[in-house]
Amino acid sequence: MAQERAGGSGREASAQTRRRGQGELESLVLAALRQAPGPVNAGWVRERLGEGLAYTTVVTILTRLHAKGAVERERAGRSFAWTPVADEAGLAALRMRKVLDAEADREAVLARFVTGLGPGDERLLRDLLRQASDEPPGPGGEAD
Amino acid sequence: MGVFVFLPLILPLTAWPVARLAEQHLHPRAATRLLSAVAAVLAVCSTLCLALLMVVGTAQLPGNPLPDGWSDPEVREALPYDEVAGTAAIPALFAVLLSCGRATWRHGRVRRRAAQALAGGGVPASAGGGVAVLPDRTPYAYALPGSRRARRAGRIVVTAGMLAGLDSAERSALLAHERAHLTGRHHRFLLAVQLAARANPFLRPLRTAVSYTAERWADEEAAAAVGSRRAVARAIGKAALISHAAPVPVSASALAGFAVAGPVPRRVAALLAPAPAAGSWPPVRTAVGLAAWGAAAGAAVSALSSANSAVTLFLVLRAATPL
Repeated sequence: MAQERAGGSGREASAQTRRRGQGELESLVLAALRQAPGPVNAGWVRERLGEGLAYTTVVTILTRLHAKGAVERERAGRSFAWTPVADEAGLAALRMRKVLDAEADREAVLARFVTGLGPGDERLLRDLLRQASDEPPGPGGEAD
Repeated sequence: MGVFVFLPLILPLTAWPVARLAEQHLHPRAATRLLSAVAAVLAVCSTLCLALLMVVGTAQLPGNPLPDGWSDPEVREALPYDEVAGTAAIPALFAVLLSCGRATWRHGRVRRRAAQALAGGGVPASAGGGVAVLPDRTPYAYALPGSRRARRAGRIVVTAGMLAGLDSAERSALLAHERAHLTGRHHRFLLAVQLAARANPFLRPLRTAVSYTAERWADEEAAAAVGSRRAVARAIGKAALISHAAPVPVSASALAGFAVAGPVPRRVAALLAPAPAAGSWPPVRTAVGLAAWGAAAGAAVSALSSANSAVTLFLVLRAATPL
């Protein structure tokens, strides 16, 4: 019965999750985890958050963070003990990589600073770079 | 009208030599604007032409929802009536609209997701604002355009891995380059040519050309902003070399297949050469002038031809519609 109740509020909380955006909840959980004195369990995180989140929701978010490589876990008895790996900025970097990796296989939407190099480009580029750094600036050189 | 109705579908072929010449000889700003405009006009005309063919094609099909008058012998007499072309235009137009719709939707989604990735907070913003430095060892940098509707300002996204590989002058050059993309709203040109290339495959060389000239445009702006062409050249060269571990995109290897240097070395070489003249249009007598004027003439003829077909078709169909 307790499980049933937890499941029910889990559904409620997941509706709430969608409203607030996954990124925000992940940030909150990660922030809580970073204040932990050491490896802690999901219950500790849930209490720390004090947001009325269901236990299952917290575990779901922690599992998602684990899949992203943002937290590590180790078995502690029947549950896991969690420790943060990346901070919030690191998490943003992970999310961005995911966006870019999903984009990479097709036409680029975001114009990157440099595109990939073809065969032969690397040698050509090294020659040009040598030219760019060796050549002494001529009269009025740099500003031309 | 006869065969002239097909002209807007074929005229984009004029874009091939034009793209090449404009890319090499015009100032990158002028080249980007000219080629994007040519691509947009030719794409709209080509799609319009396809739509006209489709209307004629559909009117022939039994059980179509169009007025019966549209398939009268008089209408078929007046319009370029070709069973094969008319029927083929139906799936073609459908494919074009679907493809353009998907490209637009994907463009919006990538921008939205990238903005969401930064929205969690905790990303250190350097002085001056608008620059998000991500703690990632993979070197990359790009400009994330803002959105007026979502009230998001444009941001420059750069990783710590990229900044670590550059000295301070080169970092300024990189930021100036990305800032030029944002202030020049370059993503609009890129989206326009992408959609054009989907509307008519003959316009693909324009897409490749504009994605190069838009980078060159930002390079030139960056060179002016930091006051050193060489610093920008070094920044591009170093960034490309430290990113080289990443797999080569298809477009770059396709270029290499023609034994032409890829876009990155060409950009660096262009920066080591004197600044391009930002003058007006080249004179007609030179090859460049001929190409530029040829492009303008081709676009104009295509537009006129499409408009002519559209008006004729409209008049004929109105006359044939029983009221």
